[in-house]
Amino acid sequence: MSDTPSHGPVNSIMPKWVRCPQDFVGGLALMAIAAFALWASSDLQGMRGFSFGAGTAPRMFGILLLLLGVGTAAMGLIFEGPQVAKYHWRGPFFVSLSILCFAVAIRPLGLVISAFVAFMIAGMGTPETRWKETIIVGICLTIGCSLLFPYALGLPLQLFPRFLIQ
Amino acid sequence: MADLFSNLALGFGVAFTPINLMLCLIGALVGTLVGVLPGIGTIATVAMLLPITFGLPPVGALIMLAGIYYGAQYGGSTTSILVNIPGEAGSVVTALDGFQMAKQGRAGPALAIAAIGSFFAGCVATVLIAVLGAPLTKLALAFGPAEYFSLMVLGLIFAVVLAKGSVLKAIAMIVFGLLLSMVGSDIETGASRMAFNIPELADGLGFATVAMGLFGFAEIIRNLDAGSESDRELVQQKVTGLMPTAKDLRDSAPAILRGTVLGSILGILPGGGAVIASFAAYTLEKKIAKDPSRFGRGAIEGVAAPESANNAAAQTSFIPLLTLGIPPNAVMALMVGAMTIHGIVPGPQVMQKQPELVWGMIASMWVGNLMLLIINLPLVGIWVRLLRVPYRLMFPCIVIFCAIGIYSVNNAPVDVVLAGVFGLVGYWLIKHDFEPAPLLLGMVLGPLMEENLRRALLISRGDWSVFVTRPLSAVLMATAAFLLVLAVLPSLRKKRDEVFVESEN
Repeated sequence: MSDTPSHGPVNSIMPKWVRCPQDFVGGLALMAIAAFALWASSDLQGMRGFSFGAGTAPRMFGILLLLLGVGTAAMGLIFEGPQVAKYHWRGPFFVSLSILCFAVAIRPLGLVISAFVAFMIAGMGTPETRWKETIIVGICLTIGCSLLFPYALGLPLQLFPRFLIQ
Repeated sequence: MADLFSNLALGFGVAFTPINLMLCLIGALVGTLVGVLPGIGTIATVAMLLPITFGLPPVGALIMLAGIYYGAQYGGSTTSILVNIPGEAGSVVTALDGFQMAKQGRAGPALAIAAIGSFFAGCVATVLIAVLGAPLTKLALAFGPAEYFSLMVLGLIFAVVLAKGSVLKAIAMIVFGLLLSMVGSDIETGASRMAFNIPELADGLGFATVAMGLFGFAEIIRNLDAGSESDRELVQQKVTGLMPTAKDLRDSAPAILRGTVLGSILGILPGGGAVIASFAAYTLEKKIAKDPSRFGRGAIEGVAAPESANNAAAQTSFIPLLTLGIPPNAVMALMVGAMTIHGIVPGPQVMQKQPELVWGMIASMWVGNLMLLIINLPLVGIWVRLLRVPYRLMFPCIVIFCAIGIYSVNNAPVDVVLAGVFGLVGYWLIKHDFEPAPLLLGMVLGPLMEENLRRALLISRGDWSVFVTRPLSAVLMATAAFLLVLAVLPSLRKKRDEVFVESEN
């Protein structure tokens, strides 16, 4: 969870002795995750006699993951393999932004506004988007979702902004 | 034997009530509708549609979910045949010959054979579940915590062996999943673990949330990378002449039979049976065919065998879930999630205490298959039209739909953010050639494994040798060790890679 795709194409940065950057970087990241988990569970109680404490299992899996990370990174040094694939920023950025906006807006602003706004932001995720049709589809989707979720499925979703209802 | 019939009768009694038939129909239709969307596999479909079953009574909800599952699978094969985009790993092989058949204007027979094969496999598997259910439940009662733990280890090792690519990386993904499952409250002491005082994390990471992130959002982001329009070559001709000819039927009948047998066996094994079943069935057909060069050029056996195997395995994978309470793959894990929401803990007790639920679900699987056969063939035209919707319009819809779905599980905005984070994690995993499916399996089995490990060690007073001194547990552990050794042996690895490579190009 501690890693986000921010590595970019690493092929030029990686020294020569890294034969498979894909595995090497992957292994390093696993080690980082494991170290983070070990740190996060360090305040939990360990073994009490022969019974497990709350922290025993997380630590066990953490150490296991650390070892596997070392193993994966080592494989990256020993065997030839592919470079780290190229990352694109546009898709991940706008899709994430759209999800984030939805999460932030759904409570105070209701389904109608948050769904439409999130739809438009997600639409920016590809250069192929044509705005006119995206707006039309966005409106249709918003109407569809507003009917489907609260009415047809009976889920407790608020449709309109809170300040309008009050 | 009498038990068997009375059980099945009970099941069909439940499944054939109008309301349950209706739910099964809706599930199958909606499942196909979403499953047809390219880039949305079975796991994402089930995760996405989970919320729509929340308002139903438990039996109805599970019946609808089973319908969604089969619909999603059938939708996946439809896209493989018509657009050459397999929605999920299981239908990768179907795309090989199915798409070729479609190009030759025989999309109709290909789709029909896929449906007929699936239906036949479904019938056989339903009977198999009914036959094996009761005895396996008895076996399950003989299982102590040590045996449960060993069985889960075996299941995870199976998942590793059957996953493609590096064994080491697959194990790493499982352990990552196990670690993620530790987030939340400790079962025994209630201590908060790795939750960082975030109230939404106190209960642990939601399974549907992670699944949607890893399989829904990550897949969308990756598709955007590829340039959405580039690799879509939809079959442009009208799909006409649905019925396969007598020769088609003659050719595919033995293939369907072989696929069903292979799929049923592989499905029972814990660790993601459906995918490997279709690969194995395709490889088998190619091996025993008189003229192997026909494969990849539109051989109908190449559609019939993997589709039957896929469906048989999908269905028999309910066996470990219903009898032992252990989900053998990610979709079953979602089913567990759904059951838990309705307050049902899958396992041998359910079989005895709520027989109408279990048998009703088993019967409805068969009904679901029948419905797919009847409704989907006439509806192929609609699915094709749906496939013509450009991706630039489709993906924002999917994003919003997923977001609303996740939000409605707990009415928690944090869940939506978490799913987004896991979308990025999933994208990163894809870039580094890590498979997300073992991660999900590890995450589901994590709490079960920890609980049984703790209990086993408590009973044995901290003696780790229980796992090898109790005979049943020792057998399971030995099998797991044997499989792991086999998987890393170079000769078998080469073979295993061949199976995947062969079916990918």
